[in-house]
Amino acid sequence: MTSVPATVIALKSLACIADDRSLLEIDELTVGAGERIAIVGHNGAGKTTLLRLLSGCMRPAHGSAEVLGRALQDALPAAELRALRQEVGQVLQGVHLVARLSAIENALIGSLGRVTGWRSWMRWYPAQEVAQAEAALQAVGLLAHAYTRADKLSGGEKQKVAIARLLMQRPRLILADEPTAALDPSGATEVCRLLVKAARRATLITVVHSPALLPLLAERVIGLKQGRIAFDLPLASVGDHELGNLYRSAGGAVRALASPAVQSFSDPIGHLPIR
Amino acid sequence: MSLLALLPGFADRFGRRIGFLALSLAYALLVAACIASLLMENELSLGRNPLANLARTAVEFARPSFLDAWSGNPNLEYRSDDGTLLRVENRREVERNYLAGLGEATWTTIRIATLGSVLGALLALPLAVLTARNLLAPRPLAWLAKGVLDVARSIHTLVFGLVLVGIVGLGPTAGILAIALHSLGSYGKLFAESIETLDMAAINAVRGVGAGPVQVFFNAIWPAVLPQFVSSHLYVWEFNIRDSTILGIIGAGGLGLLISEATSLFQWGRLSTVLLVVFLLVTSFDAMSRRIRKALL
Repeated sequence: MTSVPATVIALKSLACIADDRSLLEIDELTVGAGERIAIVGHNGAGKTTLLRLLSGCMRPAHGSAEVLGRALQDALPAAELRALRQEVGQVLQGVHLVARLSAIENALIGSLGRVTGWRSWMRWYPAQEVAQAEAALQAVGLLAHAYTRADKLSGGEKQKVAIARLLMQRPRLILADEPTAALDPSGATEVCRLLVKAARRATLITVVHSPALLPLLAERVIGLKQGRIAFDLPLASVGDHELGNLYRSAGGAVRALASPAVQSFSDPIGHLPIR
Repeated sequence: MSLLALLPGFADRFGRRIGFLALSLAYALLVAACIASLLMENELSLGRNPLANLARTAVEFARPSFLDAWSGNPNLEYRSDDGTLLRVENRREVERNYLAGLGEATWTTIRIATLGSVLGALLALPLAVLTARNLLAPRPLAWLAKGVLDVARSIHTLVFGLVLVGIVGLGPTAGILAIALHSLGSYGKLFAESIETLDMAAINAVRGVGAGPVQVFFNAIWPAVLPQFVSSHLYVWEFNIRDSTILGIIGAGGLGLLISEATSLFQWGRLSTVLLVVFLLVTSFDAMSRRIRKALL
């Protein structure tokens, strides 16, 4: 591989618009190689839009966006787009495995960017790829279930298979959109640990909601609010104050709902709302 | 509280039930109209002596002709009224020959159903791809394909067979084509439905690792769709086995020819033999295909 550019992502005066609604407006955002970034923000703040933009699924309306040395504001030819996707690994909200394939076949899908030709059509992978897929499943602790069909696995196991697929893909940039949304706290912690391990040689950008997971996943936290960057701080200086501001003051309605209702439920016996 | 104030709530709570009641009433009226009009046209008679006819038929039916292949009279003498010997027949030999013919006809029926199903499935595949809503084929093409499927499904195999016998002549070819053209409609619908249930998120995930279109097809679409395709194929094939047993009646070959022969000569024993074979064929195929489909899903 040639020299890795120090800047993985560079966004400048960028705007994403869909149906006349502005989804995302970013003046400037730079991400260096190997950074661990968490994106936080309420629903509709533009987190998923940002990830879609970075993975080349969406083009900015104006401004410039450079990801892994490719300018995304111009329409990329199909081959270029595939090359970009090969280098950008994604772990998505919910689990997106091919249900009827076994865990190891799902992991091997990660290698499709490298393995080409008719053998990849028959899912007949080279022996070294299969060995690596076994190693990847071992790394996520699922080697025993290598030949279990994906739809027979539990939610946490599926997400681990998705991480094994990520390990096989060996991307330079990993985008994870609420990878722990459907998991219990201990499962979420484990998946986050594995995710960070998988991203050892890559840049990791994760959308998270639970503050408890922030220290596991990030060194830098970006808060999005109504499509704009509200704060961009190192993890150490992100406290309850910043997060509280971000989630509470999204709009008048949300604020009104958040304070009194939360109070009355924190003291359920004394102040049950009775009409 | 006035009655009017209650009415909106009444409509909410009982509106659906009243709708269902009205539909049931309309259905009952239709059934009554059918019976009444047939009675008025005097078309609901059971013939002159139904019970005696039923009894005679049932007795002959209860003794299938294949038993004669072993227990028949080997030396059956046909005599005229004045007692002269006309001819001697070995019943066992006659019935054994009939059984051999029956075996051949069964094999023809299986061949018609199998080849007709294969042809129908192959023809339906592109039409299903065009009609599946999630694949977003160009609208006019989708409508055209849906039209073809609907027409194919609404015309009975026998009607296709009658037309095709006039075109390609008597024999199994007409049967194969008739089965293919009719089952085309069922295949197209079932295939399109299984394409529509594809997990687009999984497909996008495979696309997301940088896989090319052919790789996406073979790694995400094919494994998801293949078991369903095989399952629907077996299901329609099963139907076609049943359908092809009567195609012979219109001259398209197979068991149907023996059925029409037996019924027109009132040989209920032989009909009973043929129907036994049909029953065994259909149920064994049913059981087999059910097992395979269960294993696939």
